[in-house]
Amino acid sequence: MNNATSTDKLKQLWLLTRPYVFALGLAFLFTGIMLGLLGFNVWEAFKALITTSFSSKFQIVETFKKFTPLVLTTFAFAIPFQIKFFNIGSTGQMIMGGTIATMLGLGMSSFRVPSALAIILILTAAALTGAFYALIAGALKAYHNINPIISTIMLNFVAMQFTNFVATTPPWQAPLTGHPMSKELPKWMLLPRLFSELHIGFLIALGMVAFVYFIMKKTVIGYEIESVGHNQRAAEIHGINIKKTTLVTFFLGGLLAGLAGGIEVLGVHGRLVEGFAVTSGAEYGTFGTLTALISGAEPLAVPAVAFLMSILLNGADSLQRRLMVPVELVFLTQALIVILVVTMRERFRKR
Amino acid sequence: MAKDITNILEARGVSKRFGEVQALYKVDFSVRKGEIHGLLGENGAGKSTLMNILYGLYKPDEGEIYIEGKRVEIHSPLDSIRLGIGMIHQMSTLVPEFTAVENIVLGTEESGSRLNIDFSRARKEILELSEKFGLRFPLDVKVKELSAGTKQKIEIIRALYRKAKILILDEPTAYLVGDEFDQLLSSLKILVDNGVTVIFITHKIREVMQACHRASVLKGGRMQGTVDIEKTSKEELVSLMFTGQNIDVTDSALPNVIPEPVERSEKPVCVIKNLNTYPIVKDGIVLKDVSFEVYGGEIFGIAGISGNGQKELAEAIVNPSIIASGEVIINGKTTTNLSTIDIFKMGVFYTPEDRVYEAILPTASIKKNLLLGHHRDNAFLGRMRTLRWNRIKGVSRELIKRFNVKTPHEELEIRKLSGGNIQKVVFARALMNPIDLLVTHNPTAGLDMASVKFVFEQLLELRRNGKAVLYLNEDLDELMIVSDRIGVLHEGRLVGIFNRDEFDKNKIGALMIGG
Repeated sequence: MNNATSTDKLKQLWLLTRPYVFALGLAFLFTGIMLGLLGFNVWEAFKALITTSFSSKFQIVETFKKFTPLVLTTFAFAIPFQIKFFNIGSTGQMIMGGTIATMLGLGMSSFRVPSALAIILILTAAALTGAFYALIAGALKAYHNINPIISTIMLNFVAMQFTNFVATTPPWQAPLTGHPMSKELPKWMLLPRLFSELHIGFLIALGMVAFVYFIMKKTVIGYEIESVGHNQRAAEIHGINIKKTTLVTFFLGGLLAGLAGGIEVLGVHGRLVEGFAVTSGAEYGTFGTLTALISGAEPLAVPAVAFLMSILLNGADSLQRRLMVPVELVFLTQALIVILVVTMRERFRKR
Repeated sequence: MAKDITNILEARGVSKRFGEVQALYKVDFSVRKGEIHGLLGENGAGKSTLMNILYGLYKPDEGEIYIEGKRVEIHSPLDSIRLGIGMIHQMSTLVPEFTAVENIVLGTEESGSRLNIDFSRARKEILELSEKFGLRFPLDVKVKELSAGTKQKIEIIRALYRKAKILILDEPTAYLVGDEFDQLLSSLKILVDNGVTVIFITHKIREVMQACHRASVLKGGRMQGTVDIEKTSKEELVSLMFTGQNIDVTDSALPNVIPEPVERSEKPVCVIKNLNTYPIVKDGIVLKDVSFEVYGGEIFGIAGISGNGQKELAEAIVNPSIIASGEVIINGKTTTNLSTIDIFKMGVFYTPEDRVYEAILPTASIKKNLLLGHHRDNAFLGRMRTLRWNRIKGVSRELIKRFNVKTPHEELEIRKLSGGNIQKVVFARALMNPIDLLVTHNPTAGLDMASVKFVFEQLLELRRNGKAVLYLNEDLDELMIVSDRIGVLHEGRLVGIFNRDEFDKNKIGALMIGG
């Protein structure tokens, strides 16, 4: 009897993970074929891709550093996606957060306040900036029924221009640099290190994972978001305000993206640098969207998938450095994983 | 009438299983050429499954199908059309924006090339068929302008245009009113006189007695037998349909419940005053100056053909934001400016019309479905606006027991339940807390007899306890069984109110179609 239930459980687990196993397998198979056709050593390439992240303390730290903004931008997409809206704007929300963080930090630099207070102030400002920036798209959806895909993409361009403006205009601009960037923030304002290069932004991100889990699973608002996602019409009939729920999801999503921007500025760059939201050749926002789609936007699956994605991204960097494999090949793998996961989920749903 | 006793269609030992549910078990079914063959059974008996197998929508797990004695494999509706089977679905499958001619020609290639459809030839052929079978309808009006009965005629001609020899009509009377049923009957007679065979699916015994030559009865996925209508009685059909279920039924196959006398309250629980609404859907219907009261201890029925303002009326009571003018007063208090949650907290609950698309969160658990609408009840709220999931779980278990929901546990996805059990969850949610007014729209749609009886009992129980029920239903038979009064909606207006002793199907039916 006991035996039967445990095999049942195993079968359940297999049914649940089957689409992902197939998707990953096929994605790596195709990538392998591509690598082979391009004349690379397939075995060495895969080894680099997967094991780099665990090869040294430095690499582990690098992986965690990628994970930090990635898990936040993943939630920035995943939360509005709970009610079937696409927030493609986490890039814009993140760089707006980072830009405002820089402006505030530079403005505060001559006032000697306690470090902790400065950091809390700046990160809060960054998070709220992202939240209100996302709220523009949320409000356009709620009150004028404008598709968030369109509004968030447009708002990304606005944010990029704004960042560029700040990075190339006094008093913020760093003099004598070719690349658009701001002056450095004072050292006492930067995020303290846990060990080596790992800053406390990593812990803040983990805290946010717990925060999102709490909101989504334990609170009324989380239940309302989930209900709208299951069936908007039924939710509305039973007293859930769809407009308000839409605004809340964009606010929360933007909050996390904006925070990611603040953390990158205070934790990694120490200043505003054009393109600071880019990693391994594309924006954290883009990778966040992919990660969210792969994870099915489930709050518990998001950190796990974001971690796997960080390993891949870190591996991709090393692949490019060591084997001269273009980083675009890893994009190909990721794109394949997304497409295959979505396809396989549909394929195995039938019957 | 042709009394040919060769079987034009035969199914042998057909079984079909959906997950846990054995929808059909070794069913034998044969239809003779040129007869009207009734397929009788309550909802969930397997009628639609059997027909969908014959139409190629489902593949049987086992069993064989023969047409004119030849073994056939039907993999898709296209195969079935080629074999001469035509299906008339319960809901119109015509394109609303197309005319009758366009709809009939759609998907056929005989009338010219795909680029240049020969409408004039098609038209001529359609007119000939139309004359021959006495099924007349306007050819050039968009079908969305036409009545359900007319659309059905077009669907029949569409099947005949595709050379159908066997017509399957799935619950063809569900949306017919007035004399449309008699018209359908005479058309079917002409069809069989011309050698067409008709399979008539229904759960109403009365219709089988009037329309059919023979009838087969399905119950719980098993064939109970086939009878000659001339040699059988209503009672025999009832016993075939409901053996082992201790339920008294009417000849419309509804539970025969008789409301006991109940004193109605002095003051009304719900007053609807000069109510005008905005449309719920774009360009939809609106309520126009509707006024009436519902008292405690009363079931107030609302009759009307679907889409005449029922949904707007029901929703205006729980969602005042759709009210354009006028007001709804519950227990003496106006609902103007209140939210749905406020109104629920005043002792009102609503079970909407469409069970899957409006009443439930199909992919959420039973527990989360029970919480819907109660999610801001103080009893379920902890600190920091958290939900007290332990208490919710406890309440869910109690409700599952109290309403006898057949489920292994409260975490099961609700869509995995049968329609009847889903409706039990919906009622459990509505009746979780004591309420003064229940607004319920088509609560019995698609349910089997035991579930219909369950719904009726819930409504009567509320009435017995002095509560008010606003009961909206397109099925007049059902309304007349339990209602104390019936109001008729037509094009957004309340065009009449009947007391129980004045109930008259013809009079109410005439008002429903604007007579």
